[in-house]
Amino acid sequence: MNNVKELELTAYKCRRNLLRMVEASDHGHLGGALSCMDIVTALYFHKMNVDPQNPKMPERDRFLLSAGHKCMVQYSVLAEKGFFDKSVLDTYGGFKTQIPGHPDMYKLPGVEANTGALGHGLPIACGMAMGLRQDKLNSNVYVIMGDGELAEGSNWEGAAVAPHYGLDNLTVFVDFNGLQISGRVQDIMNFTDIAEHFKAFGWAVKDIDGNNMQEVVDTLDSLPLEKGKPSLIVAHTIKSKGISFAENNASYHYWTPSKEELNKAIEEVEAKIAELEKALEE
Amino acid sequence: MIGDILDPRKEFGKAVAEVAETDERIVILSADSGKSSGFGDFAKAHPDRYFECGIMEQGVTGVAAGLATTGKIPVFCAIAPFVTCRNFEMFRNDLGYMRQNVKIVGRNCGFTYSDLGATHHSLEDFAITRMIPGVVVLAPQDPAEIRGAVKAMLKHEGPVYMRIGNPKIEQIFEDKEFVIGKGTVLVEGDDLTIISTGSTTKAAIEAAEILKEKGVSARVVGMPTVCPIDEELVLESAKKTGKIMTVEEHYQYGGLGTLVSEYLAETYPTKMKMLGVPKSYATSGPYDALLKYYKLDKEGIAETALEFVKD
Repeated sequence: MNNVKELELTAYKCRRNLLRMVEASDHGHLGGALSCMDIVTALYFHKMNVDPQNPKMPERDRFLLSAGHKCMVQYSVLAEKGFFDKSVLDTYGGFKTQIPGHPDMYKLPGVEANTGALGHGLPIACGMAMGLRQDKLNSNVYVIMGDGELAEGSNWEGAAVAPHYGLDNLTVFVDFNGLQISGRVQDIMNFTDIAEHFKAFGWAVKDIDGNNMQEVVDTLDSLPLEKGKPSLIVAHTIKSKGISFAENNASYHYWTPSKEELNKAIEEVEAKIAELEKALEE
Repeated sequence: MIGDILDPRKEFGKAVAEVAETDERIVILSADSGKSSGFGDFAKAHPDRYFECGIMEQGVTGVAAGLATTGKIPVFCAIAPFVTCRNFEMFRNDLGYMRQNVKIVGRNCGFTYSDLGATHHSLEDFAITRMIPGVVVLAPQDPAEIRGAVKAMLKHEGPVYMRIGNPKIEQIFEDKEFVIGKGTVLVEGDDLTIISTGSTTKAAIEAAEILKEKGVSARVVGMPTVCPIDEELVLESAKKTGKIMTVEEHYQYGGLGTLVSEYLAETYPTKMKMLGVPKSYATSGPYDALLKYYKLDKEGIAETALEFVKD
């Protein structure tokens, strides 16, 4: 699938999957999961070499959610892609669920690492990229990092390793929605220009609108941004993208909705799905 | 051979390199630490399997986990506190929780980096690594056991922490297969059992001779696997000699002594004495002076055992 309109529709179907999990559990890390939903959808439905029927095939591309609390984005997309039955979404928040509040590689096919503690994903991804290259596989490694997560020092250890080893099979998206749990990222720990930071470490960098599907797809098609260098995409996104009343509001980082609020969100997302389906038919 | 005085780091590095010659899955990771861990020759011979990352133990632990997901067997050796304390969360999550086949080796363990002071001592590595589910903790007791333990840890599927020392040590055992989880009776005796691990075992054997001269018959058990502890041998010793004394170059509590006491408390309550370093930041100075000060030399072990049996 490479039609941008179809990808937009898929991203909204995934948003509906996400709300199904909230319906089951009454809570979840909403904002950050929705801000990177368009990127993760494009990765799985446009870019990555993965097979839901053979989730461990050695030549697969790897996806790592360094900001593991955004797990609902991955569950939504994996379910839509067919890695597991959508009924599993109804177990979110439940006892011994396959889809806990942070991803577990031994519980769910398609999950590559047990992330959740921040600052772990990038060093692990570097090791994966090094190992794949040593095996002479053309597989790529994709990472979603949070913007608030950048304050963890271990990220900068990974940021040094990737260009040192010329890992151009590694692409990192910083989901720069500008908000973290206590407020604005720039007020809490300001990294000024994120792209410039990584560029100084030796990465090829690019700023994009991470909620503009065309821009996301064009960027994915242009990877690696520069041969011999890892790629760092600063994806400017909107926290809680797709649910109008929650957008750009830090209080929706973690969401415990009222029934009315949840219904309103479902109505909005379903209306958007209908609109996109209609547009595709025309 | 027995009686040889050997550098534990070189013996370790050589043993890993020997296995790595025939197993290409083995890769070496370095935090500016590989060459001083005995991997200088390996780095020259196999530059494609030697990954220098600079001084970043957290990052290296994560990189090791990532490499292991692709089927590699990463070995990462550096100064003990930096590969256990500094990177603890990466050890716990990326290696333990993710069940990755990575071997972490803490060298200059205990206070063998004696004069460098408490920042470079590692007196809690058993305590913290044994708490990570699925992690095997090894402390080989002489050069022969280091060689054997290397082969065993590389064969073992799953995360392993092994500690080795710094100064040259005497070979006291013949080379033989190292079995993870098994201890050995080194000296037979009836009045008490001394269970030792790692660097203190040679002194424990010598302490038994001093005790013998004073009319005390001490059984000495060498316990090179700290976790999982050899429960069968601990129980057998408790039943045979009653009193058990543990000896380790580690904090008195949290390590070998604690593991033995936890097991006995639930199965066969036995009077114990745990000899180790009191919970404090150990002083610095020559290694032998520290061993003497903390009663971890043969005289100190014998003196402690004598008081314990009379108690």
